[in-house]
Amino acid sequence: MGFTESFTGPWRLTADRVLAAVFVAVGLLFLVDLFWGLLISGSISFSRLGSLAWDGLMRGLVIGLAGIGLSMTYSILNFANFSHGDYITSGAFAGWATTYLLAGLGRADVGSLLLVGAGGSVLGGALDIGVTTTPVAVVAGIVVAGVATVLLALGLDRVVYEPIRSESGITLLITSIGVAFALRYLIQFVFGSDVRGTTAAGSIPQLQLYFVDGVVRIDAHDVTLLAVTVGLMLGVHVLLQTTKLGKAMRAMSDDEDLARITGIPTERVVRATWIIGGGLTGISGYVFVLWKGTLGFNDGWLLLLLIFAAVILGGIGSIYGAIAGGLIIGVTASVSVLWIPSAFSRAAAFVVMIVILLVRPQGLFSGRSTA
Amino acid sequence: MSADDLLIVESLDAGYGDLQILDGVDLAVGDEEYTTIVGPNGAGKSTVMKSVFGLTTHMGGSVRFDGGDITGLDPEEIIYEGIGYVPQSDNVFASLSVRENLEMGGYILDSVPEERFDAVFERFPILAERSAQTAGTLSGGQRQMLAMGRALMLDPELLLLDEPSAGLAPDLVDEMFDRIDEINDAGTAILMVEQNAKEALRRCDRGYVLANGTNRFEGDGRTLLDDEEVRREFLGG
Repeated sequence: MGFTESFTGPWRLTADRVLAAVFVAVGLLFLVDLFWGLLISGSISFSRLGSLAWDGLMRGLVIGLAGIGLSMTYSILNFANFSHGDYITSGAFAGWATTYLLAGLGRADVGSLLLVGAGGSVLGGALDIGVTTTPVAVVAGIVVAGVATVLLALGLDRVVYEPIRSESGITLLITSIGVAFALRYLIQFVFGSDVRGTTAAGSIPQLQLYFVDGVVRIDAHDVTLLAVTVGLMLGVHVLLQTTKLGKAMRAMSDDEDLARITGIPTERVVRATWIIGGGLTGISGYVFVLWKGTLGFNDGWLLLLLIFAAVILGGIGSIYGAIAGGLIIGVTASVSVLWIPSAFSRAAAFVVMIVILLVRPQGLFSGRSTA
Repeated sequence: MSADDLLIVESLDAGYGDLQILDGVDLAVGDEEYTTIVGPNGAGKSTVMKSVFGLTTHMGGSVRFDGGDITGLDPEEIIYEGIGYVPQSDNVFASLSVRENLEMGGYILDSVPEERFDAVFERFPILAERSAQTAGTLSGGQRQMLAMGRALMLDPELLLLDEPSAGLAPDLVDEMFDRIDEINDAGTAILMVEQNAKEALRRCDRGYVLANGTNRFEGDGRTLLDDEEVRREFLGG
């Protein structure tokens, strides 16, 4: 043992240093290029960078909010839920069906409204949907998205996950992949496979902020997304830090056996976890669609890998890690198009995740489970 | 053993899954009595405690507490009966603050009266000093005190302590035993498993020597300590 230690110890240290130095060098290169483009050659405008960063922030907040739900179920139930992405889609469809119904009642038949205009029967734009034009329908949609996802999460837990909770994590994981497919194709079967426009893009009030050499546009849906996601994140923070339930959730994510012998009703905490995690997830799906203006049955699934990346990057199990990871992933994916074609922007996000994990394998906020 | 003892374990068979560890264990703890179980590694000492607290597979015999039958109840139910359990390791919530750990100890109460915190802080002043610190940053001895404090939040009639001196520095071991004496003096019955057999027998009222999952000797602590056979077989001469 002494031999291997003295052999691998210094060698590993050097390798780590070299690796870190390479990353720092590459990072600096990008930074220099960015400043060069911004200040000297003028090939990158400040307003473009600002717009991309803002876009990334929006994306990151959605990923972060959805990531909280994933991180919570991971730390409290010890289970990586691959159906999480399709909870997002389910919430979005439930919420948007409500919004369509309230905004379009009397203007189109109820069936096509409830199917969120499947097959192009009703267009969101034609219903003039937007947070300023149909505020009641949007707020009701947010609420229904949350509630429906809570019910879905509780129902699936009761029917699918609870009976196998004592099995290994891998059993749960593979089961959840099955649930993911079942949900996604059920949604496709009911609502159709077309991607529909949901909002009246032209009628959303916009703010043009002058930023050095141009404008960054911020519209009412950006602001809605910002307010809803940040508000809910603060809410979760307060819940976890100050309420009895929140402390019990943290206690259980620390040590489930100890929680049980302390008298914490673990099954009730599990249910609360699904309720809170499900609610946040469904709402994140709704505001994501409100912000991007389109809705398709693949939305959540496509987001899932980014959410996993964010959660792992932040240190799986920590909600603050999920938020920080979401912002990093979101901003990286958006800003990366300054250098690479936008088709590769997701890849850039994963590269950044891998680099950060190489330097800090435990994730940014690890060891601070849920706290 | 008398019928009005606080805890009465009778011909208990128990283990984990299919593996039987305890074979007809008899044991009793009187009101406010300080009882210890000693014996070699693998004797089933900790298993006795876990069985009392409903953490093992019950295979036969009975556990009665305060006149009622608690055989086969879950820990969630047993905690309401007035038994507190301090496991040997992993006995604090590392990411929660000291105060939050104590709060969790009183979880089954609608609200934890401030006097309960005060009582624990008075017994373990270091916990009051560190109340805002996360438990993961405490030293081994402080963690052990926090774990006991957590179990004392419900003011149990019986406290189960699994190797409270394990892993502590020698000077802390004495302090730990003093604290346990104080808790017992205040009226809480104690059932303790200890590796440090001599010290445990010196301090307790009644002792049990367990080997291979069955009773070998029992009697008051001093008698066991002076017993030729017990000394030779279990206390290293």
